[in-house]
Amino acid sequence: MSVPSSMRQPMALRLSSAGFLAFWCVIAAFPIFWIAVMSVKDPVDAFAANPFEVIFGPETVASGRGLSIVSIVVGIAVLWAAIHLALNTLPRLIKQYSPPHLLVVGWIIGVLVFALGFLIVFFGLLPPVLSAVNTVLGPFGKPILGMTTEHYRAVWVDNAFYENFINSLIITAGVVTVSLTVGTLAGYGLARSGSNLAFWILIIALVFRALPHSVLVAGYLPPFINSAEILRPILGDAAPTLYGQPWAVIAVLVSINQPFTIWMLRSFFQNIPTELDEAARVDGCTHFQAFRWVIMPVMWPGVITTGLFSFLLAYNDYLVCSLLLDAQNQTMVPAIAGYFNRETTTTDQVEAVAAAVSITAPLFLLVMIFQRQIVSGLTAGAVKG
Amino acid sequence: MITKLLLATAMSVAFAGASSACDFKNDVPVKSLTAGFEAWKAVTDFMAKCGNFTAELDQEFRTKQPAAFAADPALYQIGGVANGTLVPLMNEGTIRPLDGLVEKYGQQLTPNQLIKVNGEIMAVAMMINTQHLMYREDILSDLGIDVPKTYDEVLAAAEKIKQAGVVDYPLGATYQTGWNLAQGFVNMYLGMGGEFFTPGNEPAIENEQGVAALEMMKKLTEYMDPEYLVSDSTYVQQQFQQGKIAMANLWASRAGAMDNPDESQVVGKVKMAGAPKAAVRAASTLWWDGIVIAKNASDEEAEAAFRVAMNGMTPEMVEANNDAAVWLIEGYEPGPLAQGVVETAQAGALAYPASSQMGLMHTALGNGVSDYLTGAKDAATTLRDIATAYTTSAREAGLIK
Amino acid sequence: MKYKTFAAFVGPSIFLMLLFIAAPLISVFFQSFYITQPVFETVEVETCTPGFPTQTCVTEQKTQPIIGEDGKVVTTVKYVGLESYRNVLEPDRAWAALSAFDFRALLTIDFWKALRFTLTFTLVTLPLVIGAGLLIAVVVNNASRLIRGPIIFVSLLPFIITPVIGALSIRWLFIGDGIMTAFLEWAFSQNISMFAQGWTIELLMMFYRVWHVAPFAFVVFYAGLQTVNQDTLESAIIDGASRWERLRYVIIPHLMPLIVFISLIHLMDSYRVFEEIVGFSSQAHRISLQWLTYDFLTPDDSGNRSISRASASAMLTMIGIVVLLVPLLRKTWRDHKGGRV
Repeated sequence: MSVPSSMRQPMALRLSSAGFLAFWCVIAAFPIFWIAVMSVKDPVDAFAANPFEVIFGPETVASGRGLSIVSIVVGIAVLWAAIHLALNTLPRLIKQYSPPHLLVVGWIIGVLVFALGFLIVFFGLLPPVLSAVNTVLGPFGKPILGMTTEHYRAVWVDNAFYENFINSLIITAGVVTVSLTVGTLAGYGLARSGSNLAFWILIIALVFRALPHSVLVAGYLPPFINSAEILRPILGDAAPTLYGQPWAVIAVLVSINQPFTIWMLRSFFQNIPTELDEAARVDGCTHFQAFRWVIMPVMWPGVITTGLFSFLLAYNDYLVCSLLLDAQNQTMVPAIAGYFNRETTTTDQVEAVAAAVSITAPLFLLVMIFQRQIVSGLTAGAVKG
Repeated sequence: MITKLLLATAMSVAFAGASSACDFKNDVPVKSLTAGFEAWKAVTDFMAKCGNFTAELDQEFRTKQPAAFAADPALYQIGGVANGTLVPLMNEGTIRPLDGLVEKYGQQLTPNQLIKVNGEIMAVAMMINTQHLMYREDILSDLGIDVPKTYDEVLAAAEKIKQAGVVDYPLGATYQTGWNLAQGFVNMYLGMGGEFFTPGNEPAIENEQGVAALEMMKKLTEYMDPEYLVSDSTYVQQQFQQGKIAMANLWASRAGAMDNPDESQVVGKVKMAGAPKAAVRAASTLWWDGIVIAKNASDEEAEAAFRVAMNGMTPEMVEANNDAAVWLIEGYEPGPLAQGVVETAQAGALAYPASSQMGLMHTALGNGVSDYLTGAKDAATTLRDIATAYTTSAREAGLIK
Repeated sequence: MKYKTFAAFVGPSIFLMLLFIAAPLISVFFQSFYITQPVFETVEVETCTPGFPTQTCVTEQKTQPIIGEDGKVVTTVKYVGLESYRNVLEPDRAWAALSAFDFRALLTIDFWKALRFTLTFTLVTLPLVIGAGLLIAVVVNNASRLIRGPIIFVSLLPFIITPVIGALSIRWLFIGDGIMTAFLEWAFSQNISMFAQGWTIELLMMFYRVWHVAPFAFVVFYAGLQTVNQDTLESAIIDGASRWERLRYVIIPHLMPLIVFISLIHLMDSYRVFEEIVGFSSQAHRISLQWLTYDFLTPDDSGNRSISRASASAMLTMIGIVVLLVPLLRKTWRDHKGGRV
């Protein structure tokens, strides 16, 4: 596509915008990059005041854990290949092999397989191969960059962080599914009803969204803990104790997230021409049939975007999960708080950093893959205000 | 770290048949809710050896415990408490007296461990903790300073260290706003000989001792890192480990970390001493941690829970974790690190005066003391505002008519 | 759409919101007018606790609640009207300080201190978030297609990262001799302590919030820029409009609904600022309204919590947010009316 000359940018503008972009990217990525660096260093290095000591990790190297030039080069190559795969090959393969109406399932499976494969290659296969290569290479194989995965091992193996990971997955999957199911129905209903009632529901939902969460959450705890006692007259001995139950937390998170979900989905449905479902209605469909057969096939971009926001809310939640779940069902974010207690040592802190990076990694992957959907979903009108 | 225990639990259940780590086989499901620090990990690990036991080490236990024990049946049979957290359970009557169980299964307990209220055993303590002086022996002996015994000596020593310029800041302190800062004031005020309440639960902190305590705290802060209002025990511990400070009144349970070669650059240089005296007595308070058994549980459950709990407090446990805490349990060998606790107790430090009123006062102090340290208010106004804040919440709670 | 069908569509959503948001809210509303207190008695209690070498026993007067027949604490519920609100607002002290024009004194009262910070925080970050988001969106939109993907990816990172972790990661850069502080000290060659005084913490908190939210504004604006009418833009060029004029008269009006949307979301979110207070432990210097509520609700060591004052403070926070939202709500109302014609 040729650019008209008047649209072409003068040199000064191009330079300054390039400079600005570079500056912004550094600001955006630096704190995250930095905790990733800290997480692979000895505690002494990780909290050193001199940035170069944090990056190169002299103490870590001195204790014999580090990367040689060869390892760094190979590592970067593998990473680059992985990113390339995730951005180009993976979407193509998924489109190719999953039936159109199961695209979401296809994505989930594809992403999981990819993540698993990456973990196996990067953390399972690469280290032993490289250490063998390094011993052969002599001086080039000498470690120069301090790096240790011991904190990750401590987090994932010794502290069984994978259990929290599974709990997080359960809660997040539950919240996204329920939230979208309930939300699309309501969003569609609200978009197609011009009544004042619909308007007031939206306004009240907006006020609900503005509520401080701590007020709500503290109110849940006593009834949740005593629910068996409270519900016994109604449900008999089957009355459950809601405290510690993942599904109860899912219900809470879905409700807290409902106002935002219905607002987003409503404005999205408003952008789907009314003629579509009216035509279906003329053909004798009920509202539900019209929704199922006409609207559902075209609503995915908006639903995926809204779903991502629900995902972030559930995955990142601290307040609700820490208070309403017991340790067996605890999710990852509150579990991190377990590292900051009365007896926190510096090692604990670095382990907490490693746990923090572990929590961020899936989000990383998620954005990498869904980035285009986010933008196209928003473009399709999920946020017309 | 929380889940580590679950893993350990699962593993020890697997081992339970073979090992003789527990003298009975528990077949009643037992759950515990405790704080999540090292000593609790050690103790619950040993409890788990009896089988059928789930430990919950929860950061929010303070919020959850009163409600979970008030439920019927209680969600947990064993609770981990300290001076303060025992109060709500006592007030609501949700824990049971342990005299019968102690007689039956608690032969190895020392009299010192039994927390008695009106003669009834309500809790069994396992460890003691207090804030006491830690100092860099090398710096003090280089500069020819004796280990300070009073806060005036601390100030003098700090001045000398500052003049010598050997460390970034002569002093460290756990003055993070909130609980930590209030604890600092409580220590100092009791050390000055103050009383917190009149007999009618009215606040009694607007006095000379209160002003003296505030002034002493402010003088100390002049020798600290200016970010003292965000420094909790971990931060002070790191300052020690990185060689940035020379003295601090720090929790006994932190002593072990000073000699951890993985983290510390000052291994072997930090020594322990009793908490310095303020005007009247050692400016520190004694804290204990221990277990309670829920009232809303069947006698059978309570018995099983108590036996399981006792298995967490054996000499074998202490042997395996000798330096994790200053244990009260038989078999504990006080090492050099316990020196500070013993000296502090002998210098007359009081037990932390836990009660409903004290809880409210602690909160009011935690939110109010920093106004004096930052210079936003003078001492008299600060104390008056804290007293007002306390009165408001005490009236709301019904403690003052 | 018939009422019944409408009810079937929105029913589940309404049910959840009523159960988990409206019900707690109503109970909070009522609790702010009542006080529930245990009935206390004062008794002499002997307590024995561990000491060295032997136990120490103290006998003292203790105030403790009376436990009733059913094993529960006997409580009384009392209607107190607006007293809890008075306890939060402290109108006498506030008025005394105001009439003496002594704002420092006013800001020593927790509620007003929290309100001051919350409002400043909300109103300062709002234009920054919109501005930064818009700027990044425009610049990215002008960048070559090749690098757009990676840049959007990097830009989204601060938004998706767990708030607690984001706040901690920035805190670690600045606390003590963190590397950013070390860098600033080197650049200005003086000793800097970012966490020693209020205004630097406030700056850091605002920086964190803008860092965290600007990417959301960016991606929404960027999506909006994709739908700018190219014909309008070209005719503007033919009319000789400069870049700035095109931005001012074509692009920004096009994005206006999105700017309103972002403002709405941002006002609501930043008015309940909370994570920053905890993440940067700024309680000594800066507190927010939600933190105040949270603090009333958090039980102390002895299990006390000020439910009534927490409820009052929560209701006041709500009133504040509704006031802030009124202009935007009126606009929505007009759109709604307009949309129906």
